Order: sequence, then C-alpha cells, then structure tokens
Amino acid sequence: MMTVSEIVKAVTQGTQTAEQITRESLKVIAEKNPRINAFVEVFEQDALAQAKAIDEKRSRGEKLGALAGVPVGIKDNLLYKGHKATCCSKMLANYVASYTSTVVEKLIAADAVIIGRTNMDEFAMGSSNQTSVYGVVHNPVDETCVPGGSSGGSAAAVAAGMVPVALGTDTGGSVRQPAGFCGVVGIKPGYGRISRYGVIAFASSADQVGVLAANVRDTADVLEVLAGKDVHDSTSLEAPVPAYSQQFTADLKGLKVGLPKGFLDGLNETIKSRVEAAAQTLKEKGAELVEVEVPYAKYSAPCYYIITSAEASSNLGRYDGIRYGYTDTQAQDLNAYYEGSRAPFGLEVKKRIIIGTYALTSGRYEECFLKAMKVRELIREDFKKVFTQVDVLLTPTSPTTAFKIGAVEENSLALYLADLYTCQGNIGGLAGISVPFGKDEKNLPIGVQLYGPILQEEKILNAAYHLEKSI
Amino acid sequence: MSITKQDVALSGKLAKMAVTEQEASIYEAQLEALFKWVKELSAVNTDNVKLTNVNLAAHLRKDVPAEDAALAAQLRAVFAEQEKDCAKVKKVL
Repeated sequence: MMTVSEIVKAVTQGTQTAEQITRESLKVIAEKNPRINAFVEVFEQDALAQAKAIDEKRSRGEKLGALAGVPVGIKDNLLYKGHKATCCSKMLANYVASYTSTVVEKLIAADAVIIGRTNMDEFAMGSSNQTSVYGVVHNPVDETCVPGGSSGGSAAAVAAGMVPVALGTDTGGSVRQPAGFCGVVGIKPGYGRISRYGVIAFASSADQVGVLAANVRDTADVLEVLAGKDVHDSTSLEAPVPAYSQQFTADLKGLKVGLPKGFLDGLNETIKSRVEAAAQTLKEKGAELVEVEVPYAKYSAPCYYIITSAEASSNLGRYDGIRYGYTDTQAQDLNAYYEGSRAPFGLEVKKRIIIGTYALTSGRYEECFLKAMKVRELIREDFKKVFTQVDVLLTPTSPTTAFKIGAVEENSLALYLADLYTCQGNIGGLAGISVPFGKDEKNLPIGVQLYGPILQEEKILNAAYHLEKSI
Repeated sequence: MSITKQDVALSGKLAKMAVTEQEASIYEAQLEALFKWVKELSAVNTDNVKLTNVNLAAHLRKDVPAEDAALAAQLRAVFAEQEKDCAKVKKVL
C-alpha cells in the first residue's frame, strides 16, 4: 500500500485516480480480511462513490483536500451518519449513526475515502481485541497472536496494508499498544487536541481519538487534519494547529529527553534493550538524555481502572433499552425491563460497570474513587514538573510483545498490566506516540513510546521521526 | 479493601444488570486481585490534594426551554407519530 503522502501526490497530480486507489484498498481487504478480521464492515459502494466524486472534483479543476483519495478505516465507535456504529457489541448490533462525528467530517472534508469500520474490543474495553462480538482480530505479523487492543482492527488493517491509515480511540493505550504489537505508528494526542464529538463514550476524561499509520509522516499529516477546536466539544482546545510534518528537523540538538527512573526495572530484557537503544539513537541525533523522577506515575494503572470504570458505569447507563441499545420486549415489570435490556453487555463490559458502580457506592466512594482522583492530581503534577525539565519522555510502549490468542485470559489482571506504560498518558492527559523500534527473538514488533506535554505533539512526532529513520 | 460476591451482586443491582451466580463467582476472584492492587493507593498521602473545582455554570448554557418554532417543528418531524402537539414515543411496558 502506498503511503498517505504518495497517494495525495498521485491523486492530486492525476497519475492515479482516487477510484484506482480505493479499488486497490478494497482488493487487499477482500484478500486478507477473511483471515485477519480487521474490518467488521466495508462501505464498498459508498467508498467508491466518494472516490469518484473526488476524481470528478479534480477533473473540474477544483483544489483537492489534504488527504485526497486516501482510504481510511474508522474504529467501530466513531459515528458516520447512515452507517452502523456498534462498538463491536451485541448491545448496539443494529445502531445506525444519526450524525457524523467531527473526526469523520474532517476526513471527508479533506477528501479522504471512508473505507469501512474496524474491529475493536467491546466498548473499547480490552487490550487484545478478544472481546469483540465479531470475533478476535489476528495480528498480521503473526496470525496466531493478538493485535493488541482496543483499536486492534485499526492497527491490523494498517499493518496488513489494507489501508494506509486508520482511526482509533485511546482511553488507556488503545491506539499505542496495538500500534506497538502490529509494528505501526500510533499517536494519542494530548487531551482536547481532537474533538470527541460523535465518539461513543467510554471514559470521558480519558478518551481521545488517535491515528494509526504506517509511518510517522503520515501520522503527522492526518493528525494535522483532525486537530483543532470544535464547537460541539467543550473539552477541545482552542490553539493553532501546526503543520506537524514541516516541524521535522535535521537533528535533535536542543531536545531534552527524559528517562523516567525505575521505568525499566523488571522489564523483559529484549524490550529493555530496545528502549535503551532508542535513547542512544536520540542522543546520537543530538538530544540530551536526562534521568527524571516521576514518583507517582507507578500508581497510574490502579487509578486508571477505578476512574475509567466509574466514568464507564455512568456513560453506559444510557444503554437501558429506552435511550439506546437493545430492548427487552418480554419484560413484565420495570426492573426486569432494565435488566433484560442490559443483558447483551459482554463479561468484560459488565465487569467494568460493576467496578465503577462499586467504587462510587457511598461506602467506597472516598477510599476508591475520591482517592484515585486525588492520586491522579499528584500524577498530573508529577508530569507537569517533569516537563519543566525535559521536552519529551521515552518509555516502552508495552511490557511485552504480542502474545498468543487465548494465552492471557481476557479479563485477568495480567492483561490490565498491558496498559502499564500507556495509561499514564491518559491519566496525565499527555500526548503519546508509539513508534516501531525493532523486533524480539520471535520477530514480533517492539514499540517504544514518547510522551510530550499537552499541545506539543510536534515534539514527540519529531523525535519519533528520527527513531523511525534510524531503523 | 476487598470485594465479596455480595458486593458484586449489589453493584450489579445498582447498575440495573442481572449478574448470574456463575458470573458473580468469576468477578469476585478477578476483582479481589484488582482491588488488592487498588489498595496500593491508600499508601499515598493525599491530605494536601485539592481537586480542581470546575465552575460548570461558567461553561454551560442556561437550561431554559427553546422558543424556536422552526426547531420545534423540525424535532417533531423526526417522530413518525404525533398527538396534540406532542411526539409519541415507543411504549416501554
């Protein structure tokens, strides 16, 4: 599959049509999707109609958008009017979006082609894409392995060359972790950089839309299209959007890279050695390495599971058979109606709702939810302080590479640990990017992660660009 | 901090979800491990932490009925059935 910049150039200059590019993408999906299961629905007719409209626009001499003819996969929790958006859950099996999310609007306005919706863990709750009602996604690098999650379908679609770019969402690492597992680039911008309007909510204080692409430049170019203030989302930030890929520099002189003390303790030796190699590469490019302390960051994961589950228990209250979701038509009284209508939730989703509800009960509120919220403030202060000392932080993306399908029980604590390095970014509201940086002894990709402060995505993109170039 | 099968059942009830005996057993074991982990938070001194208070009134519009006749007509038009200027919704029970 051509890169985003190659496609835009070809379509704009007329050496290839958007229709040809779209048909090529559809062909690869038809060939590979039966094994990979990255797409749960392909919008073939709509995508071809969109592509033809872009070609007609060009033939009329009109200026094409920044993503002219680029096929894009969208995660199944992003609304696209007239199309299903099911969060890969039985609960929303027949839900058809009545409006289009801002991110999809922006893609269409930039002349991208929306190819289809990608597989995901049910309601974005999971790290291995094994909780989807549409079945597990297979990692294109090794089909016996998981692709990571929850945006596993998006990562796999890019890794398999079905599309050059796909959108995901990231509440605790759901873009960066699958990017790392599948050997692609994944960015979660800082909280508020991209509108959440039309994104089916999981945990509103942590959810962010992210981009998965085959390389850093493509990631930067798509982020530029998506970023910016949106009147429909009061949490989106009013700030100029830089031309990210034009901020790439010849070297990294003047960049201070923080290496958090203790972050590599007890880590798998292969992954540890790749993070150390990445640090060395950044140094060779001119960056200064600085050991920094983020003492409260180690509490991010328990905070994350309490806070996001509490928010989920509230957000998912809307699936009651009246406002949204399945309706139990056989119930005889109101309690039975609610229980019956909420029955289609899968095991993991129910568990998170139970955790959240428990953490918010009057007896547990202070020691669970309030405590987690207060520790979150300390973590945020930690990061705020550290970014007065350094420009970016370097960490592993995940403590492991992709594991075998079924090897780790989907609901276990071990799987929650997969988010150890990524959920810090959501708890802190940081910008984070995972970039492939080598492979393990089984030839599985290893991702390294760069964190930057809010509204400074250009710094992590630039550092990631240099890491990518060095491979 | 611990969580029992009864806590699971109560939380399920509060969340208006049916939790089977089998599910409660699975969750009890899994949540026991999770809450042991969460217990680590109690070691953190948060005495001086003040949560940011957001003045919602400064951000939200006033909750007053809209008096836009065109909008009202547009909204009513979405509903297939209407009765006496009201939209008819599906019967729940």
